[in-house]
Amino acid sequence: MNLHDCKILLVDDEKALREMVCGFLQRAGFHEVTMAGNCKEAEEVFSDTEPHLILLDVMLPDGDGFSLLKRLRKISEVPVIFLSARDEDESRLRGLGLGADDYITKPFLAEELILRVTAVLKRVYHVKAIREEEIIALGKCLVDMGSGVVRWDSVVSEAVGREREITLTAKEYAILQKLAQERGRIVTIDALCDAVWREENYGYENTLVVHIRRLREKIEEDPSHPQYLLTVRGLGYRLV
Amino acid sequence: MKDFRKEKINYNYKKILRFFGYGILSVFGIVFLTGVLNIIFLISATVVYVNTDSSYIQGGKVMEALTPTESGYELDGEVAEKFERQDQWAMLLDQTGQVIWSIRKPEELEDRYTLSDVARMSKWYLKGYPVQIRAWDDRIMIVGMQKEMMWKYNIEFSISWMDYVKRTFWVFFFINFVWIVVLAFIFTRRFTKKRERARIEWIAGISHDIRTPLSMVMGYSDTLEQSEELPEEVRQQAAVIRHQSMVMKELIFDLNLTSQLEYSMQALRKEAVRPAEVVRSVAVSFLNDALSAMLEIDVEIDESGEQAVVKADRQLLVRAFRNLINNSVKHGGQTEAVKIKISLRKEKHNCYIRFQDNGVGYSEVVLQRLRSRTREGAAENIRGLEIVRKIILAHGGTIRFGNCEEGGGYCVIALRARGT
Repeated sequence: MNLHDCKILLVDDEKALREMVCGFLQRAGFHEVTMAGNCKEAEEVFSDTEPHLILLDVMLPDGDGFSLLKRLRKISEVPVIFLSARDEDESRLRGLGLGADDYITKPFLAEELILRVTAVLKRVYHVKAIREEEIIALGKCLVDMGSGVVRWDSVVSEAVGREREITLTAKEYAILQKLAQERGRIVTIDALCDAVWREENYGYENTLVVHIRRLREKIEEDPSHPQYLLTVRGLGYRLV
Repeated sequence: MKDFRKEKINYNYKKILRFFGYGILSVFGIVFLTGVLNIIFLISATVVYVNTDSSYIQGGKVMEALTPTESGYELDGEVAEKFERQDQWAMLLDQTGQVIWSIRKPEELEDRYTLSDVARMSKWYLKGYPVQIRAWDDRIMIVGMQKEMMWKYNIEFSISWMDYVKRTFWVFFFINFVWIVVLAFIFTRRFTKKRERARIEWIAGISHDIRTPLSMVMGYSDTLEQSEELPEEVRQQAAVIRHQSMVMKELIFDLNLTSQLEYSMQALRKEAVRPAEVVRSVAVSFLNDALSAMLEIDVEIDESGEQAVVKADRQLLVRAFRNLINNSVKHGGQTEAVKIKISLRKEKHNCYIRFQDNGVGYSEVVLQRLRSRTREGAAENIRGLEIVRKIILAHGGTIRFGNCEEGGGYCVIALRARGT
């Protein structure tokens, strides 16, 4: 399925806002956007169109978005992004543990909205765009993220005495994947530990350093003078 | 560190004063007024009573008015008249208990009394007649009233009991006083709480209502700004609208947050937070932002700081740190890159986070305003820094702003570290 074929249901009681957001989505390429002004309408439209994603306002004339989501969750696992006009809602949302996929506070920019919508759709439906990053080019080597193998240019591999194909360990793969996702941007030590060890990741900083060194030995031409996997002192790492 | 503590004490003192303010003052007033009113009432009632009722005839007076004659005794006419008027009676007993003189003595009473009779009536009643007894030389004067005219009761306490009462009286008084204070305090507190809550909700409501229209201002100005059919000038104008609406968004957020922090009603969602992680993620988000190209952030976290854990609302901490960095960015970097140094360490029970920049530093007026809680003065807009301070204080921490000798300003935050 193509990203832009995803159907989106937009629920907000303010007509003008609905139209504006609908405009944003259509300009971004989402051509199947349906709208609803209250909970009742939303449930009807939902069962009619079976959208791939719901943008849901928290305050609706005939109930709140939280309870609507609770009802929807009984019949569907559709991803939901909340639109809210209250700062306090975020904590309520976290407290409820409803399984909403994201949260946007009004007012928001079109760019932010589209970014989040796209991110959720990609994550949930694994639609295209991720594939583009499957092969990461790092100078003279290519990393195949599909198989987790580093492939070196034959000339270089002979020059630096390295095998042409090196397999990444699971941890190295996770680190590289996280860095590649945020390529060009700094990723904090904490975010990396979080990506590799998930929960209870505290205390792995030193282990992370070891994994980074091993990763460099596989992807850098000169591991002691890295060109691609850079250290940002005190903060984290960056893949350029 | 001295200033630090002072500010904290100062703040606590003011907080306590505000907390107790209405309650204590009004309670003191009420208690004092009630006491004064009671005393005035008691005194005036006694005076009025004594004046109108000139009281019953006393034994002593009768004795003075009684002169022995050959045949017995003779009562002064005026006193005799009083006996008539007040419907009282009297009798005089000799050593043997024989009545030797009497006036208006009820008929049912006998003419002779034994020692035990006297002992009994001295405490209680004589056949239902209330009597007062007075010894006069070897005789006994008994002044009586009609039945049901006087209530008599004998009280006696051991001296040790009286001493005990004397000692405990203050305790009783104190307990009573405290009880009244607490009661009144609870009532006033409830009242003020209700009022504060209404105010917070009002502000939250307004900020909510502004957000939806602002969404459209922001959304459409953004669309216009990016529309390629429009002339450059118009797009520039749209950019200004968008930028200003984002400023308004921040303002609304701050207004809401300030009002909640001000009245300590913001339910802090406290969780175990590692400040090291928060500092890093905030710093990185600034560095990753393309707009911050002219920004250098140097983060220095030692081993103790790395391990520190505080109990805090992560979102609010992020907000505080962002505001501090924003402030440095806003007030520096005209000629050279903004350099911010953030250091984090743990010492004893506190976790210290220090932000230092290479900007112009804080003006004396700003420092003054950040130290005191007054809102006067300060031409500069330091709302962002005030929010930082409120957030830190709401977490029970301390915060201090100052200028470095080598130029630039600094801010030290101390938060209580957990599990130490």
